[in-house]
Amino acid sequence: MESPSARNESPTGDVDSRIGRIIDRAIARNIPGLAPLPQTESELDVGPTPKELVYSDETARLYHYEPVLDEIYRVPLLLVMSPVAKGYILDLARGQSLVEYLLLQGHDVYMLDWAAPRREQSRLGLAEYVIDLVGGCIDAVARDCGEDDITLVGYCMGGMLSAMYTALNPAGAVKNLVCFTTPANGDGMELYKKWMTSPAFDIDRLVDELGNIPGDFINQSLQALRPLQRSANQMRLLNNVQDDAFVKAHLRFDRWAVDQLPVPGMLARDLVRDFIIGNKIVDNTLELRGQRVDMARITVPFLHVAAQHDHIVPAAASRDLIGLVGSKEKQEIVMKGGHVSLVAGGNAVFRLWPQLDQWIRVRAT
Amino acid sequence: MSNDDSLDPIRLWREWFVKSEKAWSDALTEMMGDENFSRGMGRYMHEALHTHRMFSESMAQYLANLNIPSRGDILDMSDRLAHIEETLNHIQVELRSQRAQLTKLAAGAPEAGARKRPARTRTAEPNPS
Repeated sequence: MESPSARNESPTGDVDSRIGRIIDRAIARNIPGLAPLPQTESELDVGPTPKELVYSDETARLYHYEPVLDEIYRVPLLLVMSPVAKGYILDLARGQSLVEYLLLQGHDVYMLDWAAPRREQSRLGLAEYVIDLVGGCIDAVARDCGEDDITLVGYCMGGMLSAMYTALNPAGAVKNLVCFTTPANGDGMELYKKWMTSPAFDIDRLVDELGNIPGDFINQSLQALRPLQRSANQMRLLNNVQDDAFVKAHLRFDRWAVDQLPVPGMLARDLVRDFIIGNKIVDNTLELRGQRVDMARITVPFLHVAAQHDHIVPAAASRDLIGLVGSKEKQEIVMKGGHVSLVAGGNAVFRLWPQLDQWIRVRAT
Repeated sequence: MSNDDSLDPIRLWREWFVKSEKAWSDALTEMMGDENFSRGMGRYMHEALHTHRMFSESMAQYLANLNIPSRGDILDMSDRLAHIEETLNHIQVELRSQRAQLTKLAAGAPEAGARKRPARTRTAEPNPS
Protein backbone atom coordinates (compact mmCIF):
# COMPACT_ATOMS: atom_id res chain seq x y z
CA MET A 1 0.00 0.00 0.00
CA GLU A 2 1.47 3.35 -0.98
CA SER A 3 1.43 6.30 1.38
CA PRO A 4 -0.02 9.64 0.17
CA SER A 5 3.45 11.16 0.11
CA ALA A 6 4.78 8.30 -2.02
CA ARG A 7 2.01 8.92 -4.59
CA ASN A 8 3.23 12.50 -5.00
CA GLU A 9 6.78 11.40 -5.80
CA SER A 10 8.20 11.56 -9.33
CA PRO A 11 8.22 8.26 -11.29
CA THR A 12 11.99 7.91 -10.79
CA GLY A 13 11.72 8.63 -7.07
CA ASP A 14 8.93 6.06 -6.83
CA VAL A 15 11.06 3.36 -8.47
CA ASP A 16 14.00 4.29 -6.20
CA SER A 17 11.92 4.04 -3.06
CA ARG A 18 10.42 0.70 -4.19
CA ILE A 19 13.90 -0.71 -4.81
CA GLY A 20 14.97 0.64 -1.43
CA ARG A 21 12.03 -1.11 0.25
CA ILE A 22 12.78 -4.41 -1.51
CA ILE A 23 16.42 -4.25 -0.35
CA ASP A 24 15.38 -3.36 3.19
CA ARG A 25 12.97 -6.32 3.24
CA ALA A 26 15.68 -8.64 1.92
CA ILE A 27 18.10 -7.51 4.62
CA ALA A 28 15.39 -7.89 7.23
CA ARG A 29 14.90 -11.48 6.07
CA ASN A 30 18.63 -12.05 6.64
CA ILE A 31 19.43 -12.95 3.07
CA PRO A 32 23.18 -13.56 3.28
CA GLY A 33 25.34 -11.14 1.37
CA LEU A 34 22.87 -8.27 1.34
CA ALA A 35 23.60 -6.90 4.78
CA PRO A 36 25.76 -3.74 4.85
CA LEU A 37 29.40 -4.75 4.62
CA PRO A 38 31.76 -3.75 7.44
CA GLN A 39 34.34 -1.24 6.21
CA THR A 40 36.23 0.46 9.01
CA GLU A 41 38.97 -1.04 11.19
CA SER A 42 36.63 -1.10 14.18
CA GLU A 43 33.78 -2.73 12.21
CA LEU A 44 36.19 -5.35 10.92
CA ASP A 45 37.61 -5.78 14.43
CA VAL A 46 41.24 -6.00 13.26
CA GLY A 47 44.10 -6.01 15.79
CA PRO A 48 42.02 -7.59 18.60
CA THR A 49 44.91 -8.67 20.88
CA PRO A 50 45.27 -6.36 23.91
CA LYS A 51 48.40 -4.22 23.72
CA GLU A 52 50.02 -1.19 25.30
CA LEU A 53 52.14 1.54 23.79
CA VAL A 54 55.63 1.27 25.27
CA TYR A 55 57.64 3.77 23.26
CA SER A 56 57.07 6.31 20.55
CA ASP A 57 59.55 8.30 18.50
CA GLU A 58 58.96 10.05 15.17
CA THR A 59 57.00 7.48 13.10
CA ALA A 60 57.88 4.48 15.29
CA ARG A 61 55.27 3.02 17.64
CA LEU A 62 56.39 0.20 19.91
CA TYR A 63 53.60 -1.93 21.38
CA HIS A 64 53.76 -4.68 23.98
CA TYR A 65 51.14 -7.42 23.83
CA GLU A 66 49.72 -8.64 27.11
CA PRO A 67 51.16 -12.11 27.88
CA VAL A 68 48.53 -14.82 28.29
CA LEU A 69 50.61 -17.45 30.11
CA ASP A 70 52.09 -17.35 33.62
CA GLU A 71 55.48 -18.52 32.37
CA ILE A 72 57.13 -17.14 29.25
CA TYR A 73 60.43 -17.54 27.41
CA ARG A 74 63.29 -15.35 28.62
CA VAL A 75 64.12 -13.66 25.31
CA PRO A 76 61.47 -11.20 24.10
CA LEU A 77 60.44 -11.13 20.46
CA LEU A 78 60.15 -7.92 18.46
CA LEU A 79 58.07 -7.99 15.26
CA VAL A 80 59.27 -5.27 12.88
CA MET A 81 56.69 -4.20 10.32
CA SER A 82 57.37 -2.81 6.88
CA PRO A 83 57.27 1.03 6.92
CA VAL A 84 54.71 0.97 4.08
CA ALA A 85 52.22 -1.40 5.75
CA LYS A 86 50.15 -1.46 8.90
CA GLY A 87 50.94 -3.99 11.60
CA TYR A 88 47.43 -5.36 12.04
CA ILE A 89 48.09 -7.90 9.27
CA LEU A 90 49.99 -9.87 11.94
CA ASP A 91 47.00 -9.58 14.30
CA LEU A 92 44.14 -9.72 11.84
CA ALA A 93 41.42 -11.44 13.88
CA ARG A 94 41.03 -13.95 16.68
CA GLY A 95 42.27 -17.31 15.39
CA GLN A 96 43.95 -15.58 12.45
CA SER A 97 46.66 -13.76 14.35
CA LEU A 98 50.38 -14.53 14.43
CA VAL A 99 50.66 -12.37 17.56
CA GLU A 100 47.95 -14.34 19.36
CA TYR A 101 49.59 -17.63 18.33
CA LEU A 102 53.02 -16.57 19.62
CA LEU A 103 51.53 -15.40 22.94
CA LEU A 104 49.80 -18.76 23.36
CA GLN A 105 53.14 -20.51 22.79
CA GLY A 106 54.69 -18.49 25.64
CA HIS A 107 56.58 -15.75 23.83
CA ASP A 108 56.81 -12.18 25.09
CA VAL A 109 55.73 -10.23 22.00
CA TYR A 110 56.44 -6.62 21.05
CA MET A 111 55.65 -4.97 17.73
CA LEU A 112 57.30 -2.05 15.99
CA ASP A 113 54.48 -0.55 13.95
CA TRP A 114 54.73 2.66 11.93
CA ALA A 115 52.61 5.79 11.90
CA ALA A 116 52.02 7.91 8.80
CA PRO A 117 54.81 10.51 8.55
CA ARG A 118 53.96 14.19 8.94
CA ARG A 119 55.20 16.62 6.29
CA GLU A 120 58.22 17.69 8.34
CA GLN A 121 59.15 13.99 8.77
CA SER A 122 59.95 13.68 5.06
CA ARG A 123 63.57 14.16 6.22
CA LEU A 124 63.60 10.61 7.73
CA GLY A 125 65.75 8.34 5.60
CA LEU A 126 67.10 4.81 5.78
CA ALA A 127 69.74 5.78 8.40
CA GLU A 128 67.09 7.28 10.71
CA TYR A 129 64.82 4.26 10.29
CA VAL A 130 67.56 1.68 10.95
CA ILE A 131 69.80 3.38 13.50
CA ASP A 132 67.45 5.68 15.40
CA LEU A 133 64.02 4.09 15.16
CA VAL A 134 64.69 0.33 15.07
CA GLY A 135 67.64 0.88 17.46
CA GLY A 136 65.51 3.05 19.78
CA CYS A 137 62.79 0.40 19.94
CA ILE A 138 65.29 -2.39 20.72
CA ASP A 139 66.64 -0.29 23.62
CA ALA A 140 63.08 0.40 24.78
CA VAL A 141 62.25 -3.33 24.80
CA ALA A 142 65.34 -3.97 26.96
CA ARG A 143 64.28 -1.23 29.40
CA ASP A 144 60.72 -2.50 29.50
CA CYS A 145 61.34 -6.19 30.11
CA GLY A 146 64.79 -6.06 31.70
CA GLU A 147 66.35 -8.52 29.22
CA ASP A 148 69.42 -7.62 27.18
CA ASP A 149 68.77 -10.18 24.42
CA ILE A 150 66.10 -9.96 21.76
CA THR A 151 64.76 -11.97 18.82
CA LEU A 152 64.05 -9.73 15.82
CA VAL A 153 61.37 -10.87 13.37
CA GLY A 154 61.05 -8.57 10.36
CA TYR A 155 58.34 -8.72 7.71
CA CYS A 156 59.16 -7.61 4.15
CA MET A 157 60.96 -4.25 4.38
CA GLY A 158 60.83 -4.64 8.15
CA GLY A 159 63.13 -7.62 7.60
CA MET A 160 65.45 -5.42 5.57
CA LEU A 161 65.62 -2.84 8.38
CA SER A 162 66.16 -5.60 10.97
CA ALA A 163 68.97 -7.20 8.96
CA MET A 164 70.64 -3.80 8.44
CA TYR A 165 70.45 -3.02 12.16
CA THR A 166 71.93 -6.43 13.05
CA ALA A 167 74.72 -5.97 10.50
CA LEU A 168 75.59 -2.58 12.02
CA ASN A 169 75.50 -3.96 15.59
CA PRO A 170 76.90 -7.49 15.40
CA ALA A 171 77.73 -7.52 19.11
CA GLY A 172 74.45 -5.87 20.10
CA ALA A 173 71.24 -7.10 21.66
CA VAL A 174 69.99 -9.17 18.71
CA LYS A 175 70.27 -12.85 19.68
CA ASN A 176 68.25 -14.30 16.80
CA LEU A 177 67.15 -12.85 13.48
CA VAL A 178 64.15 -13.94 11.42
CA CYS A 179 63.20 -12.33 8.11
CA PHE A 180 59.97 -13.00 6.21
CA THR A 181 59.89 -12.35 2.46
CA THR A 182 62.69 -9.82 2.71
CA PRO A 183 64.13 -8.19 -0.40
CA ALA A 184 67.91 -7.94 -0.69
CA ASN A 185 68.63 -7.83 -4.42
CA GLY A 186 67.31 -4.69 -6.15
CA ASP A 187 67.86 -6.29 -9.58
CA GLY A 188 65.25 -8.88 -8.61
CA MET A 189 62.55 -6.19 -8.34
CA GLU A 190 62.39 -6.28 -12.14
CA LEU A 191 59.47 -4.01 -12.94
CA TYR A 192 60.49 -1.32 -10.45
CA LYS A 193 64.06 -1.50 -11.67
CA LYS A 194 62.93 -0.93 -15.28
CA TRP A 195 60.74 2.00 -14.30
CA MET A 196 63.24 3.64 -12.00
CA THR A 197 66.24 3.32 -14.27
CA SER A 198 64.29 4.89 -17.13
CA PRO A 199 65.73 8.34 -17.96
CA ALA A 200 62.24 9.81 -17.61
CA PHE A 201 61.92 8.78 -13.95
CA ASP A 202 63.12 11.36 -11.45
CA ILE A 203 62.76 10.45 -7.78
CA ASP A 204 64.09 13.84 -6.67
CA ARG A 205 61.40 15.70 -8.58
CA LEU A 206 58.73 13.38 -7.16
CA VAL A 207 59.92 13.87 -3.57
CA ASP A 208 60.51 17.61 -3.97
CA GLU A 209 56.98 18.02 -5.26
CA LEU A 210 55.11 15.68 -2.90
CA GLY A 211 57.27 15.63 0.26
CA ASN A 212 56.12 12.23 1.46
CA ILE A 213 55.05 9.63 -1.11
CA PRO A 214 51.29 9.12 -0.62
CA GLY A 215 49.92 5.72 0.40
CA ASP A 216 47.76 5.56 -2.75
CA PHE A 217 50.87 5.91 -4.89
CA ILE A 218 52.47 2.96 -3.04
CA ASN A 219 49.26 0.99 -3.39
CA GLN A 220 49.07 1.56 -7.15
CA SER A 221 52.75 0.63 -7.55
CA LEU A 222 52.14 -2.64 -5.70
CA GLN A 223 49.01 -3.37 -7.74
CA ALA A 224 50.99 -2.92 -10.95
CA LEU A 225 52.91 -6.07 -10.02
CA ARG A 226 49.73 -8.07 -10.46
CA PRO A 227 47.17 -5.74 -12.00
CA LEU A 228 44.13 -8.02 -12.10
CA GLN A 229 44.52 -9.69 -8.72
CA ARG A 230 42.18 -7.30 -6.96
CA SER A 231 39.48 -7.83 -9.61
CA ALA A 232 39.89 -11.60 -9.26
CA ASN A 233 39.51 -11.25 -5.51
CA GLN A 234 36.26 -9.34 -6.04
CA MET A 235 35.04 -12.22 -8.23
CA ARG A 236 35.95 -14.67 -5.47
CA LEU A 237 33.98 -12.53 -3.05
CA LEU A 238 30.90 -12.66 -5.31
CA ASN A 239 31.23 -16.44 -5.67
CA ASN A 240 31.32 -16.83 -1.87
CA VAL A 241 28.98 -14.03 -0.85
CA GLN A 242 26.75 -16.39 1.14
CA ASP A 243 29.63 -17.43 3.39
CA ASP A 244 29.79 -14.79 6.13
CA ALA A 245 33.15 -15.96 7.47
CA PHE A 246 34.68 -15.78 3.96
CA VAL A 247 33.22 -12.32 3.36
CA LYS A 248 34.57 -10.92 6.63
CA ALA A 249 38.04 -12.49 6.14
CA HIS A 250 38.12 -11.17 2.55
CA LEU A 251 37.19 -7.65 3.65
CA ARG A 252 39.86 -7.67 6.37
CA PHE A 253 42.55 -8.63 3.82
CA ASP A 254 41.20 -6.23 1.24
CA ARG A 255 41.11 -3.38 3.73
CA TRP A 256 44.73 -4.04 4.72
CA ALA A 257 45.89 -4.40 1.11
CA VAL A 258 44.80 -0.86 0.21
CA ASP A 259 45.67 0.64 3.60
CA GLN A 260 49.26 1.54 2.69
CA LEU A 261 51.20 4.09 4.71
CA PRO A 262 52.83 7.10 3.06
CA VAL A 263 56.61 6.85 2.85
CA PRO A 264 58.86 9.69 4.06
CA GLY A 265 60.44 11.39 1.05
CA MET A 266 64.02 10.73 2.14
CA LEU A 267 63.33 7.04 2.80
CA ALA A 268 61.83 6.74 -0.70
CA ARG A 269 64.89 8.48 -2.17
CA ASP A 270 67.27 6.16 -0.28
CA LEU A 271 65.39 3.01 -1.27
CA VAL A 272 65.21 3.98 -4.94
CA ARG A 273 68.84 5.14 -5.21
CA ASP A 274 70.60 2.68 -2.92
CA PHE A 275 68.46 -0.44 -3.10
CA ILE A 276 66.65 -0.52 -6.46
CA ILE A 277 69.04 1.40 -8.73
CA GLY A 278 72.35 1.00 -6.88
CA ASN A 279 71.69 -2.55 -5.60
CA LYS A 280 74.06 -1.70 -2.76
CA ILE A 281 73.06 -4.50 -0.37
CA VAL A 282 74.23 -7.21 -2.75
CA ASP A 283 77.24 -5.14 -3.86
CA ASN A 284 78.11 -4.57 -0.19
CA THR A 285 78.55 -0.84 -0.72
CA LEU A 286 75.64 0.50 1.33
CA GLU A 287 76.66 2.97 4.02
CA LEU A 288 74.51 4.50 6.75
CA ARG A 289 76.08 7.48 8.55
CA GLY A 290 79.50 6.43 7.36
CA GLN A 291 79.20 2.82 8.51
CA ARG A 292 79.16 0.08 5.89
CA VAL A 293 76.15 -2.26 6.12
CA ASP A 294 77.91 -5.57 5.57
CA MET A 295 75.46 -8.46 5.89
CA ALA A 296 78.40 -10.82 6.40
CA ARG A 297 78.80 -9.24 9.86
CA ILE A 298 75.53 -10.88 10.94
CA THR A 299 76.61 -13.91 12.96
CA VAL A 300 73.52 -14.65 15.06
CA PRO A 301 71.22 -17.60 14.20
CA PHE A 302 69.29 -16.56 11.10
CA LEU A 303 66.05 -17.79 9.51
CA HIS A 304 64.67 -16.52 6.22
CA VAL A 305 61.17 -17.54 5.15
CA ALA A 306 60.16 -16.87 1.55
CA ALA A 307 56.83 -17.51 -0.22
CA GLN A 308 56.71 -19.64 -3.34
CA HIS A 309 54.17 -17.41 -5.12
CA ASP A 310 55.33 -14.02 -3.84
CA HIS A 311 54.82 -11.46 -6.63
CA ILE A 312 55.75 -8.45 -4.45
CA VAL A 313 59.15 -9.73 -3.33
CA PRO A 314 59.91 -12.46 -5.90
CA ALA A 315 62.54 -15.13 -5.30
CA ALA A 316 64.98 -13.19 -7.50
CA ALA A 317 64.86 -10.33 -4.98
CA SER A 318 65.00 -12.35 -1.76
CA ARG A 319 67.03 -15.50 -2.36
CA ASP A 320 70.45 -13.79 -2.07
CA LEU A 321 69.87 -12.78 1.53
CA ILE A 322 70.76 -16.17 3.01
CA GLY A 323 74.08 -16.20 1.14
CA LEU A 324 74.97 -12.66 2.20
CA VAL A 325 74.42 -13.26 5.91
CA GLY A 326 77.56 -14.43 7.70
CA SER A 327 75.86 -16.64 10.34
CA LYS A 328 77.04 -20.24 10.63
CA GLU A 329 73.61 -21.26 11.85
CA LYS A 330 71.29 -20.15 9.06
CA GLN A 331 68.28 -21.61 7.32
CA GLU A 332 65.94 -20.70 4.50
CA ILE A 333 62.44 -22.08 4.17
CA VAL A 334 60.37 -21.57 1.02
CA MET A 335 56.71 -22.17 1.75
CA LYS A 336 53.54 -22.34 -0.31
CA GLY A 337 51.62 -19.09 -0.44
CA GLY A 338 51.97 -15.48 -1.43
CA HIS A 339 53.51 -12.41 0.16
CA VAL A 340 50.63 -11.90 2.60
CA SER A 341 49.05 -15.35 2.88
CA LEU A 342 52.42 -16.66 4.08
CA VAL A 343 52.10 -14.75 7.37
CA ALA A 344 48.36 -14.23 7.72
CA GLY A 345 46.47 -16.62 5.42
CA GLY A 346 44.18 -19.41 6.54
CA ASN A 347 46.99 -21.95 6.15
CA ALA A 348 49.67 -19.94 7.97
CA VAL A 349 48.49 -21.47 11.24
CA PHE A 350 49.44 -24.94 9.91
CA ARG A 351 52.49 -23.97 7.87
CA LEU A 352 54.54 -20.98 8.94
CA TRP A 353 53.54 -20.29 12.53
CA PRO A 354 54.46 -23.70 14.06
CA GLN A 355 57.80 -23.72 12.22
CA LEU A 356 58.55 -20.20 13.38
CA ASP A 357 57.68 -21.07 16.97
CA GLN A 358 59.82 -24.22 16.85
CA TRP A 359 62.79 -22.29 15.49
CA ILE A 360 62.53 -19.46 18.03
CA ARG A 361 61.61 -21.40 21.19
CA VAL A 362 64.88 -23.34 21.37
CA ARG A 363 66.78 -20.07 21.02
CA ALA A 364 64.65 -18.01 23.40
CA THR A 365 65.78 -19.40 26.75
CA MET B 1 30.27 -24.73 -6.13
CA SER B 2 26.63 -25.52 -5.41
CA ASN B 3 24.53 -27.41 -8.00
CA ASP B 4 22.08 -24.50 -8.27
CA ASP B 5 24.82 -22.25 -9.61
CA SER B 6 26.56 -24.74 -11.90
CA LEU B 7 24.89 -23.40 -15.04
CA ASP B 8 24.95 -19.73 -14.09
CA PRO B 9 26.93 -18.21 -17.01
CA ILE B 10 27.99 -15.16 -14.98
CA ARG B 11 29.36 -17.36 -12.24
CA LEU B 12 31.14 -19.56 -14.82
CA TRP B 13 32.67 -16.43 -16.33
CA ARG B 14 33.80 -15.24 -12.88
CA GLU B 15 35.42 -18.61 -12.20
CA TRP B 16 37.20 -18.52 -15.55
CA PHE B 17 38.44 -15.00 -14.74
CA VAL B 18 39.76 -16.09 -11.32
CA LYS B 19 41.56 -19.07 -12.87
CA SER B 20 43.11 -17.13 -15.73
CA GLU B 21 43.87 -13.93 -13.78
CA LYS B 22 47.51 -14.82 -13.11
CA ALA B 23 48.26 -15.30 -16.83
CA TRP B 24 46.56 -12.00 -17.78
CA SER B 25 48.30 -10.16 -14.95
CA ASP B 26 51.69 -11.55 -16.00
CA ALA B 27 51.05 -10.42 -19.58
CA LEU B 28 50.09 -6.91 -18.44
CA THR B 29 53.09 -6.68 -16.11
CA GLU B 30 55.40 -7.74 -18.93
CA MET B 31 53.87 -5.04 -21.10
CA MET B 32 54.44 -2.46 -18.36
CA GLY B 33 58.10 -3.48 -18.18
CA ASP B 34 58.60 -2.41 -21.79
CA GLU B 35 61.09 0.42 -22.40
CA ASN B 36 58.52 2.60 -24.15
CA PHE B 37 55.98 2.09 -21.39
CA SER B 38 58.58 3.05 -18.74
CA ARG B 39 59.49 6.18 -20.68
CA GLY B 40 55.82 7.05 -21.19
CA MET B 41 55.12 6.55 -17.51
CA GLY B 42 58.01 8.83 -16.56
CA ARG B 43 56.68 11.51 -18.89
CA TYR B 44 53.18 11.09 -17.49
CA MET B 45 54.58 11.47 -13.97
CA HIS B 46 56.30 14.74 -14.91
CA GLU B 47 53.09 16.07 -16.42
CA ALA B 48 51.03 14.94 -13.44
CA LEU B 49 53.44 16.66 -11.03
CA HIS B 50 53.37 19.83 -13.11
CA THR B 51 49.56 19.78 -13.18
CA HIS B 52 49.51 19.06 -9.46
CA ARG B 53 51.63 22.11 -8.73
CA MET B 54 49.65 24.33 -11.08
CA PHE B 55 46.29 23.33 -9.63
CA SER B 56 47.53 23.44 -6.02
CA GLU B 57 48.70 27.02 -6.44
CA SER B 58 45.68 28.32 -8.33
CA MET B 59 43.14 26.40 -6.24
CA ALA B 60 44.74 27.52 -2.96
CA GLN B 61 44.29 31.15 -4.00
CA TYR B 62 40.75 30.55 -5.25
CA LEU B 63 39.72 28.72 -2.06
CA ALA B 64 41.34 31.39 0.10
CA ASN B 65 39.22 34.03 -1.69
CA LEU B 66 36.10 31.97 -0.94
CA ASN B 67 37.22 31.46 2.68
CA ILE B 68 37.25 27.66 2.19
CA PRO B 69 40.13 25.53 3.52
CA SER B 70 42.57 24.22 0.91
CA ARG B 71 44.44 20.89 0.91
CA GLY B 72 47.38 22.71 2.50
CA ASP B 73 45.14 23.93 5.33
CA ILE B 74 43.83 20.39 5.90
CA LEU B 75 47.42 19.07 5.94
CA ASP B 76 48.36 21.77 8.47
CA MET B 77 45.52 20.63 10.67
CA SER B 78 46.48 16.98 10.19
CA ASP B 79 50.05 17.82 11.26
CA ARG B 80 48.78 19.61 14.35
CA LEU B 81 46.58 16.64 15.24
CA ALA B 82 49.54 14.32 14.75
CA HIS B 83 51.56 16.52 17.14
CA ILE B 84 48.79 16.28 19.74
CA GLU B 85 48.62 12.51 19.21
CA GLU B 86 52.38 12.30 19.70
CA THR B 87 52.16 14.27 22.95
CA LEU B 88 49.40 11.93 24.14
CA ASN B 89 51.60 8.96 23.21
CA HIS B 90 54.43 10.34 25.34
CA ILE B 91 52.05 10.85 28.28
CA GLN B 92 50.74 7.29 27.83
CA VAL B 93 54.29 5.89 27.78
CA GLU B 94 55.21 7.94 30.87
CA LEU B 95 52.12 6.76 32.74
CA ARG B 96 52.97 3.16 31.90
CA SER B 97 56.48 3.63 33.17
CA GLN B 98 55.23 5.26 36.41
CA ARG B 99 52.78 2.41 36.90
CA ALA B 100 55.62 -0.11 36.48
CA GLN B 101 57.66 1.74 39.14
CA LEU B 102 54.69 1.73 41.51
CA THR B 103 54.24 -2.00 40.86
CA LYS B 104 57.84 -2.58 41.90
CA LEU B 105 57.36 -0.51 45.06
CA ALA B 106 54.15 -2.34 45.89
CA ALA B 107 55.73 -5.74 45.25
CA GLY B 108 55.53 -6.53 48.95
CA ALA B 109 51.93 -5.45 49.16
CA PRO B 110 49.80 -7.76 46.99
CA GLU B 111 46.63 -5.98 48.05
CA ALA B 112 47.76 -3.06 45.86
CA GLY B 113 46.24 -5.02 42.97
CA ALA B 114 49.10 -4.31 40.58
CA ARG B 115 49.38 -6.73 37.63
CA LYS B 116 52.18 -9.27 38.06
CA ARG B 117 54.48 -9.97 35.14
CA PRO B 118 54.87 -13.62 34.11
CA ALA B 119 58.10 -15.41 35.02
CA ARG B 120 60.64 -15.63 32.20
CA THR B 121 61.57 -19.20 33.04
CA ARG B 122 59.82 -21.18 30.32
CA THR B 123 61.95 -23.93 28.80
CA ALA B 124 61.87 -25.12 25.21
CA GLU B 125 59.87 -28.32 25.57
CA PRO B 126 58.90 -30.04 22.32
CA ASN B 127 55.81 -28.58 20.71
CA PRO B 128 52.86 -30.94 21.25
CA SER B 129 51.41 -29.94 17.85
